[in-house]
Amino acid sequence: MKDLKHLIYFENLLQEANNELVQQGKKEGLRAIGYTCYFMPEVLLDLPGCFSVRLRAPRCVSPDIATYYLSGRVCHYARSLMERALEGGYNFLDAQMATETCTATCRFQEHIQQKHLDSVDDMRIIDNDDFFCEFTDIPFKNTENSYQHFETQLRAHVLTPLHEHFGIDVSDEALVKAIEEHNEVCRLINEIGDYRKLDNPTITGYEFHVIQLVSLTCPKHLILPYLRETAEEMKTREPDLKKNFRCKVVLAGSENDDPDFTKLVESCGALVVCDRFCYGAVESRVPIVLEEGKSPLRCVAEHYLKTSNCPRFMPQDEMRERKMRLANLAKEYHADGIIIASNKFCEYWSYERVIDTFILKRDFGLPVCSIEKEYINAASGQLRTRFQAFVESVEIKHIQEGK
Amino acid sequence: MAKKTLGKAFRDFWYGKPHSAEEGGRRLGELYEDKTGLLKHREWRGVKDTFYYMYMIWGYNYLHMVTDILKFSNNPIDFVKGTWRYRWMGQTYLPVIHWFERGLQGMRGEALYASAWHYRAMVSASIHQICNFFNADTRLHGGKQNDAYRHTIYANETTCGTLFYPFMDDGYQYIPMEMIPYFVTCHVNSHTVLNYIDAVQSLGLPGDPCPMCQAESGLFVLDDVPDAAPVIITCNEACDASVSTHTLQDWFADKPLFALPVPMQFDDPLVKKYCMKEIEEMWRFVEEQTGARFSWESMVKRLERQNKLQRDEWEKWEVASKTNNYPINGVAQALFRIYSTQYGIQGSFWEEASEKVKQIMYKCVQKKINTFPQTRHRVIAWSCAPLYFSNWCTWAYNCWGLNVIINMDSLMFDMEIRTDSYDHMLEDMVTYHMWAPMRRMAVGGMHHIFELWDYMERFNCDMVAMYDQLQCKGMQGVHGLFEDEFRKRNIKAFWIPHALPDCRTVSRAEIRRQINDYMTTVMHEEPLDPSLLDFDDSMTW
Amino acid sequence: MLKSLCKKLLKLLGVFFLANAALFVVFFFDLDGKLMFNVVEPFLKKHYDNMERRDVLKTPYDINKFPTYKYDT
Repeated sequence: MKDLKHLIYFENLLQEANNELVQQGKKEGLRAIGYTCYFMPEVLLDLPGCFSVRLRAPRCVSPDIATYYLSGRVCHYARSLMERALEGGYNFLDAQMATETCTATCRFQEHIQQKHLDSVDDMRIIDNDDFFCEFTDIPFKNTENSYQHFETQLRAHVLTPLHEHFGIDVSDEALVKAIEEHNEVCRLINEIGDYRKLDNPTITGYEFHVIQLVSLTCPKHLILPYLRETAEEMKTREPDLKKNFRCKVVLAGSENDDPDFTKLVESCGALVVCDRFCYGAVESRVPIVLEEGKSPLRCVAEHYLKTSNCPRFMPQDEMRERKMRLANLAKEYHADGIIIASNKFCEYWSYERVIDTFILKRDFGLPVCSIEKEYINAASGQLRTRFQAFVESVEIKHIQEGK
Repeated sequence: MAKKTLGKAFRDFWYGKPHSAEEGGRRLGELYEDKTGLLKHREWRGVKDTFYYMYMIWGYNYLHMVTDILKFSNNPIDFVKGTWRYRWMGQTYLPVIHWFERGLQGMRGEALYASAWHYRAMVSASIHQICNFFNADTRLHGGKQNDAYRHTIYANETTCGTLFYPFMDDGYQYIPMEMIPYFVTCHVNSHTVLNYIDAVQSLGLPGDPCPMCQAESGLFVLDDVPDAAPVIITCNEACDASVSTHTLQDWFADKPLFALPVPMQFDDPLVKKYCMKEIEEMWRFVEEQTGARFSWESMVKRLERQNKLQRDEWEKWEVASKTNNYPINGVAQALFRIYSTQYGIQGSFWEEASEKVKQIMYKCVQKKINTFPQTRHRVIAWSCAPLYFSNWCTWAYNCWGLNVIINMDSLMFDMEIRTDSYDHMLEDMVTYHMWAPMRRMAVGGMHHIFELWDYMERFNCDMVAMYDQLQCKGMQGVHGLFEDEFRKRNIKAFWIPHALPDCRTVSRAEIRRQINDYMTTVMHEEPLDPSLLDFDDSMTW
Repeated sequence: MLKSLCKKLLKLLGVFFLANAALFVVFFFDLDGKLMFNVVEPFLKKHYDNMERRDVLKTPYDINKFPTYKYDT
């Protein structure tokens, strides 16, 4: 296939958290608001006057000082964020909107928070006088009580601090505007992503992963022109005559902001046609629907709880249904199998991976490749062997089924 | 010379050998058989204490292990059937007296008498739970769901038992699902739990999630949880792995399950209303699924007894913090508190033990008895303890004179619940529920984790034993800050690495070695009993 | 009469003393622990290891078996 016009530019944007567009946004006088988890509604951090940056720590392979603080036994992602913060890589942030949605990232965020306690010294890791870090409590269920609670929390811990610290307009009108912009990003990403559903897709999983990531880490108004252009470009993009993949897979699992991991999977012959992981597009690019009779904030609160497939959700029906949702994704994207990848030390996904591996295979007849990975996969030899073996097993299954 | 020797022999016989490193000291380490930790012979504690131990602890508890079964079981045959059916039961119940032995080793006088009452209460409560399991277990009754089954509510062991008080007047029982099969077994016989950890890892679960949660789900993998209740209440206490454990438990139990979440940001006043509603929803679920009816009287009656128990505890803490007359050792104090708060008021065992201990304690205060006379350091133990070596405190006192005054685990439910109105009760219940084990001071916010300094002062401690649960992401994530604060505050602290129930990750000998190293290289102290420095108990329960 | 009563009492005392002495031997030499460790536990372990158990992986996983538990409070 012909190279995408902006792919190299996008790749460059992913080399640093404080990338060219983030710097441009800051120069425009906008406030940069960091976050780590899907449950912190990105759209609220993209209100006029500020922009969201989902934190990444690209190329961080040796988080030595962070390991002193967090120990070597918590997830590499949290440690990498901490290391990057200690290196000064997030000094551009004006605020961090924190969530205690997993223990490791919570601890990272507590370290950068000014706690003003007598019992423990604050570290002033983020060298920015304006910086503050605020925690929001995230519910574990999809019930009316949870929606109410989430709305209250978002008002108290996201909108109010943004308004008080930076004078951000948090009116309903401003929210609607942010939602519209957010929905345009969603529409474009989905439009681009839908080409993965073709029999011979005109976009690779790697390319899509890069595009999705830039949409999470750059100011929306600055990345939008590039996304629009890419969506246009996609309309006429021709696939290679000969399919250059051996099977199609859904990539599911925990935190993954490393497009090179997707590239690794694809280099083994498995085209990644769907990305159901933290930082993926399956949930985060579902447009937010404004419902009559409900405030925009309430709609946002409900949206993020209803769309999430996070294994953090506890209710019985949710636990069970998300297996089916994953199987349905495989169907929708015409995938031949699923790769479930959990990050080492990620407790949620360690368990979810185990149960997915059994249920998706047994009850939905889907081949599953279950692997454990690091945040940055420097040593990829073993993973390559696993993926190659998986691709072969899918091919054998096809032969046996006479496909 | 002969007269002197004879005199010493008589004193040793009458009072027991002295607790000292000098020639003629008791040298407790020499009592162990190599590897097994069995005793070549039990310690001679002097005439009075040896026979007290024999009749009032060893014999008394053996006898009561039988009478408790007769008291709590609907049919003692079920107990035998259950022992045959469940590994955690057979392997754990029988060596119970050795658990006493490990925790009470070297204790004398009032410290021995009072600490043993805490153990007695724990055993009695455990038998009560076991009988409740077996009374209701369909597997022991030919698959029949009997009346006891229909009157039992299962909940994850970290869900506080207090929440189920409203249904108890109606004859409903609450069983913390994994408390006996997992938690108690680790203390009594650390071999048992390894089967469950291995079982869940055999499904492909990595070895790094919290081993407590691994064992909790491993119980279900080996089908070793009695089928004794129609419903399950799960809870996100204390961590990510606790949430995830339920995915496997739900699959294998396949019963109606209600998720009762605890807000993570529990210091935020805004979360209270949300949490109140969640608790009320759980009560509705129990009513709907089991036919139980919420009873305010049932609630108040038990809460008032619980509050009284809490006030008793405060009285004890007052004595522990201000005097050297507190007669409970570190392990007996911590375990009693965890067991009683988790199981709640479901019998009179806690109150009876507490009364007896108070009597002994006040005698010590009046007579100014120094209950731990060899104390060199008053220690506060922080974070979660190694379950397979919960008796490290007893060893540390005997070997080094490190007297553990208070544990983090004991301080977690440090409150009364108001009973003057429904709203007050619910409001307090929320706080109580959110301060569940490990949540507030291990996995919770930094404000509470670093309350350590306040408690150190309150309990007049001069040293910290810092537990280092290698697979607890919450505590691992504040490791460096603790190091920084210890240095800055010039606090004497040693780390105890461990893997909660899994004695294979860090052995008991390794834990002892770490403490020995600290005491010799940093504190430059000599052991009180050098025979305890290094011995092999790798195969012990 | 008195003599036979004394004799019985002495016998009872003797039995009491012997029973206590035996109990003391068991207690002091940790014979109960040794019995558990060397005989009872290995026997039970063998039993539990060889026990037939339900294969829990065959447990059905019905997606729609249980409803959403939602309550107005």
